[in-house]
Amino acid sequence: MKLYDYVLSPSCYKVRLMAALTGVTLDIRPVDFHPGAEHRGPELLALNPAGSIPILEDGDLVLTESSAMLVYLAATAAPQWLGNDAAGQAATVQQWLSFSQRLTASLGAARLHEMLLRPGDIDALRAQGTAALRELEAGLVERRIRGQRFLASDRPTVADIACFPYVALAPDGGVSLDPYPAIRLWSRAIRAIDGFIEMPGIHRLHELKPEPSPEGGEA
Amino acid sequence: MRLSHGFVRGETLSCIYHGWSYAQAGNCLRIPAHPALTPPDTIRVATQPVEDGGGIIWIPVGEPAAGPPRFDGVTPLRSMVVEADIAALEEAAGTKAAEGLLDYAHDGRTVRLLLAPEGKARTLMHVLVDEDSNPSERIAASRAAEALRRTAEHVAASGTAR
Amino acid sequence: MTRNAMIDEWYPVGLVSQLDAHGRKTALMGEPIEVRLGEDGSAKVTGGNGRVLPACIRYGHVWSSLGDPQKPLFAIPEADQPGRRLVDVGVVRVRCSPLRAVENFLDIAHFPFVHTDILGAEPHTEVQNYKVEIREDDDEVWATQVQFYQPQAAKSAQGGITTQYMYRVPAPTCSILYKTCPPRPGEWDVITLFVQPLAEDLCDVWPWMALFDDETPMTDLIHFQQTIFVQDRSILENQIPGLLPLDPGMEIPTRADLTSVAYRRWLKRHGYTYGAQLVAQ
Repeated sequence: MKLYDYVLSPSCYKVRLMAALTGVTLDIRPVDFHPGAEHRGPELLALNPAGSIPILEDGDLVLTESSAMLVYLAATAAPQWLGNDAAGQAATVQQWLSFSQRLTASLGAARLHEMLLRPGDIDALRAQGTAALRELEAGLVERRIRGQRFLASDRPTVADIACFPYVALAPDGGVSLDPYPAIRLWSRAIRAIDGFIEMPGIHRLHELKPEPSPEGGEA
Repeated sequence: MRLSHGFVRGETLSCIYHGWSYAQAGNCLRIPAHPALTPPDTIRVATQPVEDGGGIIWIPVGEPAAGPPRFDGVTPLRSMVVEADIAALEEAAGTKAAEGLLDYAHDGRTVRLLLAPEGKARTLMHVLVDEDSNPSERIAASRAAEALRRTAEHVAASGTAR
Repeated sequence: MTRNAMIDEWYPVGLVSQLDAHGRKTALMGEPIEVRLGEDGSAKVTGGNGRVLPACIRYGHVWSSLGDPQKPLFAIPEADQPGRRLVDVGVVRVRCSPLRAVENFLDIAHFPFVHTDILGAEPHTEVQNYKVEIREDDDEVWATQVQFYQPQAAKSAQGGITTQYMYRVPAPTCSILYKTCPPRPGEWDVITLFVQPLAEDLCDVWPWMALFDDETPMTDLIHFQQTIFVQDRSILENQIPGLLPLDPGMEIPTRADLTSVAYRRWLKRHGYTYGAQLVAQ
């Protein structure tokens, strides 16, 4: 599987993260999104006329929506990431996959504005991002009341991977995560999953590694 | 650098930037750039006394004579930030807070809200529910608190609570 | 001091490769400016009231100044060496003091924690002694004989190596790093951090590189450096205090911080205080 990838794109990172967690090896094709705007060049537009990345190619199959890529990776390699097919859980997974688009349009656009100087009404984007974070927080609180740590069940699903990156990177766009304790617990739970990989702006949980033993220390 | 971005290993808190780690008393235990160095006692961070009272973390302001209050029969459910002051929350709830506690009657049940002002226009709101409430009741309480926040923020934005 | 000495320095204000006649609106030290391609092919920079500002083109970037620079832009002789690939990394905006951005670039002790498994990794956290001086003839800060163990020192590196570094600060918001060049021992890779001060607490950062590396695709070189810088960005946006303290008292330096100490001393000596705080608060 070939991923047209940009290292700073949270949507591309969703796919890299899902692949790492499901044990799929991706053939990474770096795209010069910034400063080169290669995603708007003829080669990439031929694959995806919408001019967005990521693009995932597997034989004749070309996917241009990150949520679809997550489902494809999970269905191919680790179906437990799709959740079960009980009506409520299946719908909840779909609910959060759709919701993740709102995170991209609000927190993602605020981040591009603040970091890579893309146009946008920053106050409106932050307000929309805050509204989305509050919904996510409330959803996670209700899950916890039911004894579940993730968005659709007590195990992570594609829904969590779809929502995690733009949420974790909200501070890049000037939106603080301090008001959201349930989101912070959820973010830690995701970062603690075996096989988790980070992206620039999302730091590793150094606490998962033991303190190095002092080498010849005086103390 | 804010230590809240850092990490906890065992009983020490470390900074994410250079990994300096601190003990509970605030003294620096280790500077990874100089592993052989015993950090001088002058390197320390400010500490803050805290107390866990029934699942709520308290910090003292000044030197209170007594420990934090206990709320019998209730358990903390969640904490929320409200972009409104306590007066706006009182107006939205239709009742006054007493000693930081607001009893909000909603749909035939009462949600107990513990309020702490954060500056002039923001309130930290801790939602407390009956200890023996079931998950459905707790979810209802969480949603009631969301509704109250919406109303209070509307009140604050339209400036009627003055 | 009535006139900030930093007014008369050169600053990066855009990429030459993106220069067009339409112009780019940006800012320099609080003043709105516009950068565009002139009809004669040179860069034109105008200030807030339409006045023409000094402009030059060098190291992939357009440079300008709000004042009257007394010296030409600093030299990077290696930039003209044949065989090097010149890499425009592109702009990243950071809500921090421009001086904080440079100081962070001069720091190696954070590598294991912020650039984990790339520029550093536990337990290899020790910073060995190195040399720092203010070269009076050139009026530059230099740190030499810096070395650090790096798991992935460059895109071209195969596995971990102990990397040699030299740092140079030739202007208040610019720094040049000379670094072990894995494909060509004996030469130094040049990695720069050019910082455009927009305000005292806001800057556009333009990393740029001149590397000996014929193998790695250009996009990979760009992404490697963007990765490193964006890992630093969240750190920079959360530093307290936001302005760089030039007087001792607030922050405790160790031996590992000697470059920073010299940089702060050099800034203070010249009155380079835009983005700095003088009295510990």
